[in-house]
Amino acid sequence: MKTKNTPLFIARLALTLFVICAVVAILLALVNQVTAPRIETINAEKATKALTAVLSDADQATKLDDFQDDTGMVRAVYASPSGYAIEVTPTGFGGTIDMMVGVSKDGKVLGVSIISHSETPNLGAVAASSNSKGQAFREQFIGLSGALAVSKDGGSVDAITSATITSRAVTSGVNAALECAGKLG
Amino acid sequence: MNIRQQCKEGILTKNPVLVQLLGMCSSLAITTSLFNGLGMGLSVTIILICSNVMISALRKVIPSNIRIAAYIVIIAGFVTMVDLLLQAFLPDLSENLGVFIPLIVVNCIILGRAEAFASKNGVLASAFDGLFMGIGYTLAITAMSIVRELLGSGTFGGGILNGGEGIRIIPEGYPAMLLIMPVGGFLMLGCLIAAFQFAMKKMKAKEEAK
Amino acid sequence: MAPMKYFYELTISSSPHAHSPVTTRTIMRDVLIALFPALCGSVYFFGFRALMVTLVSVAGCVFFEWGYRKLMHMDSTVYDLSAMVTGVLLAFVCPVTIPYWCILIGDFFAMIVVKQLFGGIGKNFVNPALAARAFLFSWPVVMSNWVKVGFENAAGIFSTADVVTSATPLAAMHQGTMTSASLWDLFLGNVGGSLGETSALLLLIGFAYLLIRRVVSPRIPLAFIGTVAAIAFLFPRGNDPLTWMGAQVLSGGVMLGALFMATDYSTSPVTKLGQIIFGIGCGALTMVIRYFGSYNEGVSYAILVMNACVVLLDKLGRPVKYGAPKKEAKQG
Repeated sequence: MKTKNTPLFIARLALTLFVICAVVAILLALVNQVTAPRIETINAEKATKALTAVLSDADQATKLDDFQDDTGMVRAVYASPSGYAIEVTPTGFGGTIDMMVGVSKDGKVLGVSIISHSETPNLGAVAASSNSKGQAFREQFIGLSGALAVSKDGGSVDAITSATITSRAVTSGVNAALECAGKLG
Repeated sequence: MNIRQQCKEGILTKNPVLVQLLGMCSSLAITTSLFNGLGMGLSVTIILICSNVMISALRKVIPSNIRIAAYIVIIAGFVTMVDLLLQAFLPDLSENLGVFIPLIVVNCIILGRAEAFASKNGVLASAFDGLFMGIGYTLAITAMSIVRELLGSGTFGGGILNGGEGIRIIPEGYPAMLLIMPVGGFLMLGCLIAAFQFAMKKMKAKEEAK
Repeated sequence: MAPMKYFYELTISSSPHAHSPVTTRTIMRDVLIALFPALCGSVYFFGFRALMVTLVSVAGCVFFEWGYRKLMHMDSTVYDLSAMVTGVLLAFVCPVTIPYWCILIGDFFAMIVVKQLFGGIGKNFVNPALAARAFLFSWPVVMSNWVKVGFENAAGIFSTADVVTSATPLAAMHQGTMTSASLWDLFLGNVGGSLGETSALLLLIGFAYLLIRRVVSPRIPLAFIGTVAAIAFLFPRGNDPLTWMGAQVLSGGVMLGALFMATDYSTSPVTKLGQIIFGIGCGALTMVIRYFGSYNEGVSYAILVMNACVVLLDKLGRPVKYGAPKKEAKQG
């Protein structure tokens, strides 16, 4: 098609594109209206699920807006009478690991729960899996405090076989949560 | 252009994955379990049909100077709708497919069919083109998913059957993990294309012999 | 395939018509002889399972090569012994505890996927044994099960259940600390590691044989090991530079890789300049992976990456056509 650079033609181009965009936007708004509440409930469910996994009194937890984060990993902090639940995002082998760490008022780990991750199946992914290996890995953190490290680096945390990087990432996430909770007092 | 020929082209002779090599990014990345393969295939098929119909209907209205921009807006609109619907109604699938659903916007199959077919043909023909190309894509990546899942994780039907764990066929510790990693995707795609070409050649030779 | 056969029977070529007694078969036979001392060493260090693993691997490679050529109605290339060399090398880069089914899968991958699918001997673009080792990392637990060195700890031929495992020198060095093994032990091979890679001494003896027989040139190994040594010396990570350099060169797969893997004819450059750059690239990548990577050892990946660059390296240092005009000469 030959280009006709008359103002009228250019106006037609703009108008066509505008109408298409407008129609698409309206349709999207309609779909969003239907799905938004559902997505919100699903996300809220996920967060509470992770919260109940690390805090015994998760129903009383409230989100804190004011916290100090020196590690750059802390995404959200929830406070409840028994302690804090801190969402941290360390970097693992396949990307960020989104995990929730429960910390008691006296700075001990109450529990570790992994919300989402992209680690290698059967290796790093064991950290998040519900089988006995995964549970043993996560439960070993309970009650620990201070600066943690995997045994390969001279610490006390047993790494998952052939998944040292994932284990290190989870450990660093727990450390970040402990540090953040320590500053909250 | 009749439906039968379109069907044959979409699924066999012009299969988007195995012959046209379109949409490689998603077919290599997500084909690690049956659930992912089917889910991705169906999502792409739905979007492909919708965008093909829409673009074909508007083909006389959209000036050629801004056609790509218009196509992308339309495609992105449909993709976002599907993304939102998946998040709301199939959260598990949405989590597994992750960033690859929004990335369907730039999946070459959709824009490729819009440019090559829908912008030149009627609405009904474009709808069928979208359907058959989508089926071709779904079949190819589902086949890849099944093989990669079986050899890489040792299961069948992961994400759907047996409460999401899949039916274990090869005992744990034996499957070749590399096949569910990206490198395995390339290896498997190469093998699949080779096998497909071999079969097509045999078929052609048979037809000619007749 | 009739015309092809015809072509083979009547070889038409331009002069000179010199005949050389060197064939693929004689070269591969020399390589096998050169690998023999290291094989004996592996039996001494790791027990008779080392021999069994090597034999199974060789048998597997020969079988897959023979089977594929037979199935595809092609001439058998088993008699050029190249499959046997791949079999031995693959066994050498695996831990002695590797299950037999696992090494057979490696053989399959090396011979069928890497070698035959690309057209057979001389046409594979990466080293089959190393590519197979990379594939075998599908079973990372299997591939990092390092048995403690010494005949009394030797793994059983049929069972590896009760072996004593230990970390390799590289595991400590990956953290930046000097290994507890002495340089002398590293040189002799009295340390944990892959089946045939531990003894620098025995590998060097074999390589000396290849040099005397003029099968390989020392360019690639010298450039490779030289680069590893230079980087280790310049960046000792807080250790004594000289001992650190010695440990880096003598541990892991540097010797086996530099002497026997990087020098593979079909996957290394033909020009002198290309070979030197190839060696330097292998050495530098090895050290980059050892220092910054998540794996302890980078030799095999370094060689694989450089294998993929050979196509480009072959364009360097080509001889200029005699008497050609300048422009044409440049294009070579």
